[in-house]
Amino acid sequence: MGFWLELAASGLITGGIYAVVAIGLNLQYGLMRIMNISHGEFLMLGAYLTWLAHTTLKINPIVLLPGVAVTLFLVGMVVYRLCFRRISRSAPTVEVIEARSLLVGFGLMFFVQNAVYLAWGADLRGYSFMAEPVDIAGARFMANRLLVFGVAVAASLGLLAVLRWTMIGKAVRAMMQSPTGAQLVGIDTSTLHPVVFGAGLALAGVAGGLLSMVYEISPSMGEPYTVTALIVITLGGLGSAIGSLLGGFLLGLVEAFGMHFTNPSLKMVLSYGVLVAVLIARPKGLFAR
Amino acid sequence: MSRSTLTRMRGVPRALTLTVVAGALLAVLPWLLSDFMLSLALSCLMFAALAVSWSMFCGPTHYLSLATSAFFGLGAYVTAWGLESMPYGLTVLAGGLVGAAFAALIGVAVLHLRGAYFAVITFGLTELVLHSITYVEKTMFETAGRIISDAPENAVIYWTVLGITVLAVATAILVRASRLGFALAGIGGDEERAQTLGVNARRAKVLAFSLSAFFPGALGAAMAVRWTYIEPMSVFNPFIGFQTVLIAMVGGAQTLLGPIVSSVFFSLLTEFLRLRFPYAFLLVLGILLVVLVLYLPGGLASLFVRRARPHA
Repeated sequence: MGFWLELAASGLITGGIYAVVAIGLNLQYGLMRIMNISHGEFLMLGAYLTWLAHTTLKINPIVLLPGVAVTLFLVGMVVYRLCFRRISRSAPTVEVIEARSLLVGFGLMFFVQNAVYLAWGADLRGYSFMAEPVDIAGARFMANRLLVFGVAVAASLGLLAVLRWTMIGKAVRAMMQSPTGAQLVGIDTSTLHPVVFGAGLALAGVAGGLLSMVYEISPSMGEPYTVTALIVITLGGLGSAIGSLLGGFLLGLVEAFGMHFTNPSLKMVLSYGVLVAVLIARPKGLFAR
Repeated sequence: MSRSTLTRMRGVPRALTLTVVAGALLAVLPWLLSDFMLSLALSCLMFAALAVSWSMFCGPTHYLSLATSAFFGLGAYVTAWGLESMPYGLTVLAGGLVGAAFAALIGVAVLHLRGAYFAVITFGLTELVLHSITYVEKTMFETAGRIISDAPENAVIYWTVLGITVLAVATAILVRASRLGFALAGIGGDEERAQTLGVNARRAKVLAFSLSAFFPGALGAAMAVRWTYIEPMSVFNPFIGFQTVLIAMVGGAQTLLGPIVSSVFFSLLTEFLRLRFPYAFLLVLGILLVVLVLYLPGGLASLFVRRARPHA
């Protein structure tokens, strides 16, 4: 019993991180059709910020998380202003926005990743934080992983609540449903777009900060999370935040149980197999009505 | 020949002649260049063929395929598995055919998806093939990679890749002037309207996607012997696909010459700077890419063909 609980919990913990990363990317895509392939690089940036501030200033990494979120939010506003605003204004069709933003995303990916390589080198970095075991219901967990899970779920649910119950959330949902209609009733694209883009990067930064508490970090750590986020988004449906949350947990569980029943070297085959199967059978996502 | 066919074919014989002449001129390079310069020329040719074949399908239809690495890697593995029992030329042909067959297979399954969905699924399929081959090699053959012995001479590889490149450019010229090319352009403009006007969109897309995958497959098979050691991570490297897309779009995927010019530009830039300043080079490449997309969205070709005929 304890073993199955541990297996399920480890799936849910990775799933929680997947969900946070994917929700941010999904909001950007759903609202602006920006396929930001450099999303994982900003996760990596968040991890490095947390690591740097923790090791030099000796501040508790949990306290750092809001600071990381705010920093990356601001970075996101600047990136949007410099790179993506021009694309959404000048591109004639949605398809062109997607293609060009994908290319700009590649450019940003090269830029951010190699800037970090130049600054801190390719070595793995890390620190130990709350690395003691906790016993719950006969199963054993590392305290820092439980913390990561808690914060990831709280961040995702917080964002869902913002989308559901606040004015700005309503504006975002309206904009996703019908961009023209939303503009007609007075929703301002030029503030909403940078804010949502920044919020997406803030979520990625928080996910990176959380990961730095559990794993060692390196400049190339972001890419796999971008790919996983793309898989989760496809599972949950493009533009659906709650779909991304469920999709993240689902993928985490599929990976955990799949690896247990087959073997660990099949992990990637499993993830991509799920992606391909879903895209062929239900291209609008598992939860689409 | 009907009159419309005649208008369509205008300029084609000249373009084909130019391609063959350029190919013949390039064929003397192995006698003129040092080994290092020849490998540089080889990499230019490879990316030119990859970018031209990518643009053949993705240019007119506006699909964004990231599956180039899958075709390339499958071709390379055809050589890795078959070189002992087949001559080199035959593995190259087989590599191309395997690439085309795989493209036809996935084309039937996923070409109804568009935009970001298509980009994501082609990327996912590439990774799926990569990890499946890694797994099969590990469990069935108990090996992580393969050593390629008795590779042909450098000049032979060069002529083979040159041959594939000339064939790719010639095919691209013919496709652009054919009914298939017009069907693809129609699909890119408005698929439903094209279907209403009698284009069998599904057949045209699968056919063109499969045709465009022959070349990366053949190139993978031809280039595999350049590396003495082959492993899935190196031949299915998604970077091959990314770089192809970058080259084609920076050059201008709607044009024929744009991808060729930009592949030479990118290959030279990569070879000269990457070894010396690996991180700074990619950093600058990143900035360059962002600036090009923002301020020159039609690609380098749009600098030269701005005043040409609108449909060219």
